[in-house]
This record gives sequence, C-alpha cells and structure tokens, in this order.
Amino acid sequence: MSVPAEEQAPDPAVIDNPQDAWHRVHPISPMVRGWLAIVAVLFVFGRDRVEGIFMGEAEALPSDAIWWIVGVGAAVVVVIAVFFYLSWRFTRYQVTAEHVKVNSGVLFRQQRQARLDRVQAIDLMQPLLARIFGLAELKFEVADAGESAVKLSFLKLQDARTLRATILSRASGGADDESGPQDQPEEAEHRVLHVTPGRVFGATLLSGATIALLLLAIIAVVMSFLLDEPLVITGLLPVIIGIVASYWTTFSSSFNFRVSVLEDGIRLRYGLLDTRTQTIPPGRIQAVSVVQSPLWRFTGWYKMRLNVAGYGGAAGQPASGGNTLLPVGTKQEVLQLMALVFPDPGTEDPLGLFHAGLEGKNDDAGFTTSPRRVRWISPFTWRRNGFVVTRTALVARSGAFWRHLAVVPHERTQSMALERGPLSRRFGAMDLVMHTTPGPVAVRVRQMDKHTAVELFDLQSSRAAEARKHSVGDRWREHHDEQDSERGGELTHG
Amino acid sequence: MPSEAIDPHGVVWTGVSKNYLKVRLLGWLLTAVIWLVVLSVPLVLVLIGVWTWLPLWVIWSLIALNVVISAWTGLLIPRQVRAIGYAERDDDLLIRSGVFFQRAMVVPYGRMQYVDVSVGPVERAFGLCSLKLHTAAVATKAEIPGLPTDEGARLREQLSARGEAKLAGL
Repeated sequence: MSVPAEEQAPDPAVIDNPQDAWHRVHPISPMVRGWLAIVAVLFVFGRDRVEGIFMGEAEALPSDAIWWIVGVGAAVVVVIAVFFYLSWRFTRYQVTAEHVKVNSGVLFRQQRQARLDRVQAIDLMQPLLARIFGLAELKFEVADAGESAVKLSFLKLQDARTLRATILSRASGGADDESGPQDQPEEAEHRVLHVTPGRVFGATLLSGATIALLLLAIIAVVMSFLLDEPLVITGLLPVIIGIVASYWTTFSSSFNFRVSVLEDGIRLRYGLLDTRTQTIPPGRIQAVSVVQSPLWRFTGWYKMRLNVAGYGGAAGQPASGGNTLLPVGTKQEVLQLMALVFPDPGTEDPLGLFHAGLEGKNDDAGFTTSPRRVRWISPFTWRRNGFVVTRTALVARSGAFWRHLAVVPHERTQSMALERGPLSRRFGAMDLVMHTTPGPVAVRVRQMDKHTAVELFDLQSSRAAEARKHSVGDRWREHHDEQDSERGGELTHG
Repeated sequence: MPSEAIDPHGVVWTGVSKNYLKVRLLGWLLTAVIWLVVLSVPLVLVLIGVWTWLPLWVIWSLIALNVVISAWTGLLIPRQVRAIGYAERDDDLLIRSGVFFQRAMVVPYGRMQYVDVSVGPVERAFGLCSLKLHTAAVATKAEIPGLPTDEGARLREQLSARGEAKLAGL
C-alpha cells in the first residue's frame, strides 16, 4: 500500500469518543522483536576485538582502526535505534465495538482490520525476552478470506489481558452497550486439567522420535556388522541432531500444559521458555482428533489435536501452532476434554462411544466397520475402521497400531467427498472424506462398504444442511436464549 | 451419462462440453510430442556417434515406453472427460470425476466463499471455461473444467446467488 507516511489518525487526546482511541504498543517492542539484529551487530563488531585480546594482538591494531570500528558500530546502532523508534511510532491500534484495526509499517504502510465477531481464537504469546520485560503479544485469528492473524506486539501483560477480555466480551455479543467504553475485567476461569512435567518428560521419551532413534540404532548396528567396521556416528549426526531438536520442541511446547474453562470458551496455557495462552471461544473448534502411538499404549496415554480456522497446521501447510488440545493425557482426561469441547455429543452413551472409539474394534457401541472382504487389503485395520453418526457429530475411527479417532460436528462440515481407487473398487469399498478448515485433524471414514458409504454420504449432507440452519451465530452469547428455545421446540416435536 | 455405484441416489449428472475432449486431446498431443522430441535428442546423438557410452537399446526402450504410456493416457482421456459431471441440488452442488481414482463431492451452497471462473487461451478458442469453488476447507478441491462459457457464467451467478441466500458462518 502506497499511502504516504503521515499520521493516519488524529491525536488520541483530541478524540471525543474514548472508546475509539488509537493506542500505541509498548516502546521497547521493536527491540524485543529485533533483538537478534542487535546481537548480530555486537557480534560482528565485538568479535574482532575480543579475539584480538585473546590472541594478544590488541597492540598490533592501529588506534585509528579501533576508532573506525567503534564509529561504524555506533552508527549502525543509531540507525537501528532510529528504525526501531519509527517502527514503534507508526504502529497503532484501535479497538471499536465492531473491529480491531492495526496500522503499521514505516515506508510501506499496512492497515489491517478484523471483525470482532469473526474472531476464531485469541492467543497471548510471550517469547522469553518478552517474558523478562513483562510484555506479551496478542494475536487473533479471524479466518477472513485466508487473511492471516492480526497481531499486537508487544503490550504490557496486564494490558494485553484486559484487552483480550474486552475483545472477547465484545465478540461474544454479550457486552452491555452501556459498559462499552470501559475495559472489561478479566473473566473468572476454572482450572480443569494440568499435565505434570514428569508426564511430559515420559511422553517425550516415548514419542515418535524414540521410535526413529531405535530404528536408526538398529540400522547403524546392522550396517557396522555387515561392513565389518566400527560404528560410524558422524554420518548419522544430522539425523541425531534432528531427533534431539524434535525432543526439545515436544518437551518445551508441552511443558506445564493447563486447560481451563470460562464462559467465553476454553483456555490453554503452556510453554517452558516461550509461553502461550490460547483462548478459543465456543463453536470455534472445527474438529478434534485423539491419537495413540504404539509406545503410548503401555502407559495408556493419548494426544488430542484440534482444527481451528486460522491456525492452519495441516500436513504440508504452514502452521502457526496451537493445534494441540492435550499433549498427553489419560483416557479419563480425554473424555473430560471431549465433554468440554462437545458438550452435546448427541448420543445416550457418550462414554461407551468414546471408549469404543479409542480402543474398541468391530461393532462395539454402534460402530459400523469395514466389510470383512477388505481384510485382504487392510488385514490389521479392517476391524478398527469405522464410524458412528450421532445426532450432532460424525465420529470416525481408524488405525490398528497408531489408533486414531476423529470427531467433526455436523454443523462444521464444509464439504465432503466419496473417493475410491482401483484397489478399493475391486473390493467394493469406498472412503468418505470430510473437509473441515485446515488443520492436523483429517477426517476420513476408511474402506466402508460401497452402499453404506453412499448412504452415509447422502444422509450426512442432509444432516449438515439441517445442522447449519440451527447453528449458533458468530456471537455466542447473543444466541443463547434463541438456541435454547429452539432446542426445546425440537424436543417436544421429536 | 452412466451412473455408477459411487454416485448418490437419484442424481442426474450434467456432463461437460464435448469440446473439452478436444482441449484435453490437444494438450495430450502436445505433451506426447514434447516427450518424443526430448527423447529423440539422445537417440540422434548416439546414432551420429557423439555419445558412445549409452547403448542404443536403452534409448529405444525408453521411446517405446513413452509411446505406450502416451497411447494409454490418450485412450483414457475420453473416459475421463465423460466421467466429469456436476449436479445442482436444492442445498448443495455435486461434482464427480475420475475413472480409476473416482471422487464424488458435495459442496453446500452456504459454505462457498467464492467462485472463480478462469479461461485459458486454448479453452477460449473452444468457447470453454473452468469453474472453481472455494470453501474454508483447503481440501475442497472443487473444479469443473470444460464448461461452455454461457453455462459457466450462468452457474457462477446461480452459485453466488444461492451462496448468499444460504450463507452460513464457519
């Protein structure tokens, strides 16, 4: 955008409506964001000197040269400081009753505006340095036409929290118009779950990285045996570094994972060095999956992931993280979170359903599984592949070694497809794929009997259409009463 | 249009234009010729004795393989074109495609975010266009190629109107 670099908005002091005032982020934010640049400059200019001293060559350098180095270094620091100042000066934000607007950029001005009722999730992120300074970044996903998130970095932690509460209350449609200008107090929340560090450590040790490491060790031993040479570690070093990095990422991002409930949705907090707090309002979760890797079967642990519009995280797509609902938990905790995320599972026996979904096979709890004839193409999974349709959601089960369970509410289905390849066709089977917003949860009902699949496809599209008509609007508090009366009506009819 | 087991019940499919077959065949011909030219370069080089390290039979078998694959894909094209179809229902649009890897897809009108109509140079020469539907799900790869231009425009207007009438949130 080539808007000339001039003040876009009048001075906050002149504005009569305090609600629409423009605010600035915290002055040291550019430094927190750009600290790497400063470190780089210090490193480049400091290294020679330090090395010189250690090598005893400090005297060899002519004093002119030292002044030159100091001068250039200072100039670079000044340029960076001016740039930081300008970048801070030109970043402003405004929160109105309908929108959040952020203007930024010095030469290339950028104006971003997000509708509050389209907020899909609000994240409060604190990278390590920001944590030291008591600052936080506020980020909200809006999922409007593929546009990415709106970010405010950085605000004082308390301000960020207040702003989050304000945005949530305005987005919910529950805020009083009278209380509009005032900032909302923080909402009370109720802690539901806390993953202990010990379990995170254990889960990391038993993660997929360990399986990779074991395979690698076996290969290394076999190779050294075959080649009759001692173990060659150096060739495997990059792979080992990758695995260690993966351990670290898993551990630090699952550390101190806590889940709490509030009226405006669920809140997840986690992180070892960089921390993140996600708030996901009701009705924003598009699909949930529960997976169990073979190693976790011994400890009875599961992992839950979710799709939220804007978070991304589908295979091969850029992700902004935040797709984990539970990094590691027992079956009890999984069921507890399921109840939170889908308060109305639409079945008489939700516990039995999810038990069967997590570890059952064949037709426990009403699952429809693959026909017996597909055992030739999927000898292990044909008893597991299955689905159940409840009044509100489709539950798809698959995987014999990596157990997988996915739940997608009818009203969240975007589109769906029936697919089959030559092999499935030969065995009279078909897959039904449900499309939801991008994310790690892929919902695929695998290898169903062809007639069952076509029937499910037909019924599912009419169920989705029906569910859309009754779905709650974007403003979750506004529609509470309406929704309740509608439900009541349905019950009396049915 | 033949209705197969993958189709939902009671759906009458509209096929795409016969001209689309010509577009596909042109594209196929072009690819086949390019491959043939690319593969004949080493053949010529070996025949005039510049490359001596490559045995002649390797090149001939590569060329033969290319011809077989081209013929196979060429023979498939008419069936592939016949397999493409769409059907407008009250609440959603159905699209089917594929011969070996078959796919039947349903896109509710209320979920459509935008509709793209695109025309390439070859398509334009044959009076055709392609229509693409986008929902909030990336996996929705809903494309109807080879629509007559009028039909494409009509469908676009129809879909937009219905989409607006039935628009649902995420």
